[in-house]
Amino acid sequence: MNTSFLLFALLNPLFALLAAPLYMALIRKVKAYAQGRKGPRLFQVYYDLRKLMKKEAVYSPTSSWVMRFTPYLNLSTLLVCSLFVPLVFVPEPAGGLGNIIVFLYLLALERFFTALGGLDAGSAFGGMGSSRSMSLAAVIEPTMVVAFAALAFVLKSLNLHHMFALTAGTVLPISPTLVLVSISLFIILIVETGRLPVDNPATHLELTMINEAMILEQTGKNLALLELAHALKQFLLMGILINTILPVGLSTEIDAGKIAVSAILFLLKAGLLAIIIGLFESALAKMRLFRLPAFYVMAFFFSALTILIEVFA
Amino acid sequence: MDIKMNKDTAELLSIISGIVEEEPELLNARENEIYLRLSETGFEDAALALAERKFSLIGLFCAEAFEKKSGFTLFYVFKQAGQAPALVLVREAEKEKEVPSVAGTFPSASWFEREIRDGFGLDFAGALDNRRLFLHECYPEGFHPLLKTFKNGPIRPSEFPRKEYRFRQVKGEGVYQIPVGPVHAGIIEPGHFRFSVIGEPIFSLEIRLFYKHRGIEKLAEGKSPSECVALAEAVSGDESMANATGFCMAVEQVCGIKVPERAERLRAIMLELERVYSLLGDLAGMAVDVGFSLVASPFLILREEAFRQNEKLTGSRFLRGITIPGGLKKDIPDSLLNDLPAFLEKFSRAFETAFERAMSSSSLIDRFATTGVIKKELVSPLNLTGPLARASGCPADTRLDRPYGAYKDFAPELSVRKIGDVFSRFEVKANEIRASADLILRLAEKLPQGPIFAESTGYAGYAGHNLREANSPGATGYSLALVEAPRGQNLHWVYMKNGIVDRYKVRTASFCNWQVIEHAVLGNIVPDFPLINKSLNLSYAGTDL
Repeated sequence: MNTSFLLFALLNPLFALLAAPLYMALIRKVKAYAQGRKGPRLFQVYYDLRKLMKKEAVYSPTSSWVMRFTPYLNLSTLLVCSLFVPLVFVPEPAGGLGNIIVFLYLLALERFFTALGGLDAGSAFGGMGSSRSMSLAAVIEPTMVVAFAALAFVLKSLNLHHMFALTAGTVLPISPTLVLVSISLFIILIVETGRLPVDNPATHLELTMINEAMILEQTGKNLALLELAHALKQFLLMGILINTILPVGLSTEIDAGKIAVSAILFLLKAGLLAIIIGLFESALAKMRLFRLPAFYVMAFFFSALTILIEVFA
Repeated sequence: MDIKMNKDTAELLSIISGIVEEEPELLNARENEIYLRLSETGFEDAALALAERKFSLIGLFCAEAFEKKSGFTLFYVFKQAGQAPALVLVREAEKEKEVPSVAGTFPSASWFEREIRDGFGLDFAGALDNRRLFLHECYPEGFHPLLKTFKNGPIRPSEFPRKEYRFRQVKGEGVYQIPVGPVHAGIIEPGHFRFSVIGEPIFSLEIRLFYKHRGIEKLAEGKSPSECVALAEAVSGDESMANATGFCMAVEQVCGIKVPERAERLRAIMLELERVYSLLGDLAGMAVDVGFSLVASPFLILREEAFRQNEKLTGSRFLRGITIPGGLKKDIPDSLLNDLPAFLEKFSRAFETAFERAMSSSSLIDRFATTGVIKKELVSPLNLTGPLARASGCPADTRLDRPYGAYKDFAPELSVRKIGDVFSRFEVKANEIRASADLILRLAEKLPQGPIFAESTGYAGYAGHNLREANSPGATGYSLALVEAPRGQNLHWVYMKNGIVDRYKVRTASFCNWQVIEHAVLGNIVPDFPLINKSLNLSYAGTDL
């Protein structure tokens, strides 16, 4: 343990936690503008979280500890995840932190408990959402493994900290193959955060839901924690994508000025990405449930292509 | 009584005379309706023969103490698709005696019979389904609100159902049920959907509606026709104009009122405006249900424009409070009507852009095509009408088959598709918006000047106009009116005694069309259900009077 790491462990999760909801709101705002509406103001998302925190949680009589435990587990898992993805500066290497295999397992843990939480309340929709989420996970998880393997091939490391230490300092991606991986990462970002064309986060139609169905029975503080965890997950995946394709400004030194510049640049880049996601969501209809694997295969294809190029080139 | 017959009704009479051995008793006949009473055996022979001749049962309702009888009278309304006249077979019934069911021959009768069973307590022998329909199990046994002995007033249903409502059971390995509603995640009307699924594919669906019964038919009893218009308008929000017109037409036929031409034209303009805004909501809803709000928003904006146009013309966004038996309550000034062409031109341009945007999206078309197919074979047995029947290859439209009011001179363009999937319905509805816009232009052109209210009417009670006959005894009689609402054919039947409504029966298109959803979803997957439901856009309120 050194000061660099301690500072990182303090700064990175805090930054992610504070900034993450803003990008949920920004995507919503972009979609609203695309539809010719104004949409709620950006900070509304924070007010909503505060409101939910104050509300009592209501539990179905059939629910067990799983439903009460899931929100806390999810948020803490994602907070641990935030130690894996350097957002504003890359610390000196410390232990196994940053290992992408652990990172993937943490995401799987979160998904597993979300699905359990969906089943726990005993409502038909939660079960339906969990069943859909799990069957789609069987397709997207191998895809994620291949995509992160491609990233590891290009950046010659299994550790996200090492990878980003390598990319930091360059303006453009260090290898053209990273562009291909980025396409995969973008699709994974869309899928993992339950956005169109996979799932519609704005829908009220219980029968079409995947992610929303699993948290349909959650209320009050628990819902706030789950939403925060969801925002955090989106922010971290955005972070991986940004540091891969456009790492400009990412600081590797502990310097107040550089970290500040790095943070501001990151927020701007994330803003740009959020606008792209918002436009992407606006331009597509939700796909048929059984056609979704075709969408994932695109991510698989670009990652596999990257690996082939890296191996044979 | 002197009964006038025309060619069409005389033909219907000769058909029935050819089928049954007895001489049918002719009760009444008007331009497009004929009432015949047959013996029990004659009725059964006639029903079978009518089914063979491709007649649909478009309505079945009951009246107590009809004319001078003390028991119940059942009215079976038959009509051939594409033909104007309606054949009404009248059957007498008594409280203790079961009436033979016709649901085996005409499946659309099933809900009608259950409705009569709840309302009047009549039982049907051999009915397909003997469960309650609009009175759920929390209402007491023996409670039949449409009986004349029941005085209208608040009724307190029990908090919990007294009996179980048994849904169809589908058994087998891996089959499970998904209960949905009546409370939904969005702000929509209540309805319960019981899916039996194997994984995602739907194996069986059963719907249960009627969660907010309002007793509209009972409320109408004993009211003057002008008071009843508000009830007709309340049947279903976005069919207000169509239902008000349907009710008024029935009253006008009973009283022999001739509506002035200007009023007929204005009514038709408003009916078409209603169709435009209503169908725009459908198009937007279909896009929203596949998560494509970018396509939905221009339709929603246009819908709002149409609402504002309605308000400008009539003072009501839903075109309420202007229709009255005999004509209109108030005139629409020419200065406002003269703005219509400019509005419609702008509207049409924006509509085409919005439609282009929808059609240029492959992801949208992929969701719509092949989803929720309604086979043409279901149209007649279930009495399906409106855009959904036309999208399934059935070219029927009440405005063309049985023109009323200004439609006698102004025919809308018919749009028909063969496949019957969500995409066909989307196209048909879009074409109907275009046709309505075009029709409004034609209707508003060279609009005749003159009165908007009939000089003489056969009923008393509307104070807004000085009626010459206001104090004369009102008319007695009954008549049937069919109107093409945005969702299909609505049936209005009014029985008046001395100028007062004694029985008012409404059957909206949704009442029949709802039943097809159980067929349309089969083989589709659960997440496609909301889209199929929206493409049919059936009215809960219009079904649950």
